[in-house]
Amino acid sequence: MKHVAITVSLALSCVISFFIALKLGAIAITTEQVLHALWHYDVGNFSQKIIIELRLPRVILAFIAGSGLAMAGLILQTVTRNPLADPYLFGISSGASFGVVVLFAVTGIQAGLALSGAAFAGSLLAMTLLLLIAKGRTSGQVEAMLLAGVALSFLFSSFTSLLLYWSDPQAISAILFWNLGSFSRADWQWLWLPSLVVSGCMLIMLLLRRPINALLLGDESATTLGVSVEKVRLGMLLLSSLLTAVLVAMCGGVGFVGLMIPHIVRFFISQATTLGLITTAMSGGLLMIWVDVIARISFENQELPIGVITSAIGSVFFLFLLMFRKRSS
Amino acid sequence: MNDRGSNCSPVIEVCHLNLKIAEHHILNNINFTIQPGRFVGLIGPNGAGKSSLLRCLYRYAAPSAGRITFFGKSLSDYPRQEYAKHVAVVLQEIPDQFNLTVFDVVAMGVLPHKTLFSSVNQQDKTQIINAIDKVGLNDKAQQPFSHLSGGEKQRALIARAIVQQPTFLIMDEPTSHLDVKYQIQIMALAKSLNITVLASFHDLNLAAALCDEILVLQQGALVAQGAPIDILTAQLLADVYGVHAVVNSVPCPYDGITQVPHIRYHYGYQL
Repeated sequence: MKHVAITVSLALSCVISFFIALKLGAIAITTEQVLHALWHYDVGNFSQKIIIELRLPRVILAFIAGSGLAMAGLILQTVTRNPLADPYLFGISSGASFGVVVLFAVTGIQAGLALSGAAFAGSLLAMTLLLLIAKGRTSGQVEAMLLAGVALSFLFSSFTSLLLYWSDPQAISAILFWNLGSFSRADWQWLWLPSLVVSGCMLIMLLLRRPINALLLGDESATTLGVSVEKVRLGMLLLSSLLTAVLVAMCGGVGFVGLMIPHIVRFFISQATTLGLITTAMSGGLLMIWVDVIARISFENQELPIGVITSAIGSVFFLFLLMFRKRSS
Repeated sequence: MNDRGSNCSPVIEVCHLNLKIAEHHILNNINFTIQPGRFVGLIGPNGAGKSSLLRCLYRYAAPSAGRITFFGKSLSDYPRQEYAKHVAVVLQEIPDQFNLTVFDVVAMGVLPHKTLFSSVNQQDKTQIINAIDKVGLNDKAQQPFSHLSGGEKQRALIARAIVQQPTFLIMDEPTSHLDVKYQIQIMALAKSLNITVLASFHDLNLAAALCDEILVLQQGALVAQGAPIDILTAQLLADVYGVHAVVNSVPCPYDGITQVPHIRYHYGYQL
């Protein structure tokens, strides 16, 4: 019952936050206009156009990215049984940065779709290398993956730094901004891709929740419960890499969410339950909607990078939670 | 009860089993059978290959040569999930920093019986609650598994095995690190399931008192097998474990066995 109550209140908060996020922004728009835009969209109306063309895809992307990163974190922490695992640990985001920098260095392109494409290609490269290393190992697969991920991460970072060292200052600041994360690239044309990937992953995770959670008991115990440990683990790694690659390509680097949200949810609800999984995804999405709102309205005429806000809010909140738990137990 | 089913086909039959890991011979030409309903103990010094042998039986390790059959059918012919419906395993330690409740851990026992699309129904829930009840953990069902004591963890894992509804239970040193009371409690629980059990032991007196049959491993070879009273002799302890001991026969009040061996070690250590 407690779990259902948590989930329902979270879902309600998501819906309410969604409307508030549409209303808030650089330009003041009345609630009436927001509702009008959603139900009777008038293309000629300037405020409604802002809602539909700019804010709506942005809020949707923020929600999808938040839930996707939280899920990717949950997957990685579970299959590696490492509470510190997160989507960026495996070199996937450094691979994406590398892709972007190569694009800058080779073609000089600094914006647009090509950027996302390059980021995606870079993360796929990192992911493929990682899978090649982890594949075919029966013992010590987790350790090999974690170490290889860290090594790949540094390898890509060093290449990126080298290329940046040779680039002009303008490119450096563009890359830096990209790396800090932003939802400003959200548009209707490309929203289907992250939506499809995130909802597809959610579905797969719901179906495979029992084998995935069995991995928490250890490889041997999972084997004795009839789980094909290596197959499940490689499949899940692939899934979380795909999630991260798509989201990094769209939004740049957004830290904290994947690492911390599963932890925070785990304090309240066991991840072995179906609701635990859904709660994790919704919490990530909810957090991201508000982070994006803060990014848009904190300063006039200027947007804050998403990654800065998530890390700041997240770490403070997490420290509070840890201290509170220490006292209460 | 001890003779129950001795004429039926064996639960497990191991023929010429060899296990080689990275050029190291872990197990050499192991042969034995386990009849239905027997409680079999596996003993041997550290590094003799007890865990490796059990791993071959629960399919975590693949034998390099030889054949293991379960009810007359080769292990590799069973799909993993199908095998898990018949064979449950209680291991020593599981990692636990993930806030799983006792109920969650026990509930994982239904996994082999579920397809991707099925959910846990009321009948499963009743079964899970009954299993938790049977091991006496009902007041701790909603507590984190990591908060349990060693004995309680083992009991929770046995509850998980009960939920799996196995015909054969494998236990890898289920009683090590436990207080005497819990050692007895865990083994009594395992016996009360009335299924075929293969368990490895550190404590030889515990094995002697509880098992119908004992397998003795030494350096990867099976050096003795039979009823405890027949094989646990001072000579065997000296040969396999390198200890001096006096073995007495003591009356045993249960299970139709009249006498079990009791070992008293000689505690002077000679360098």
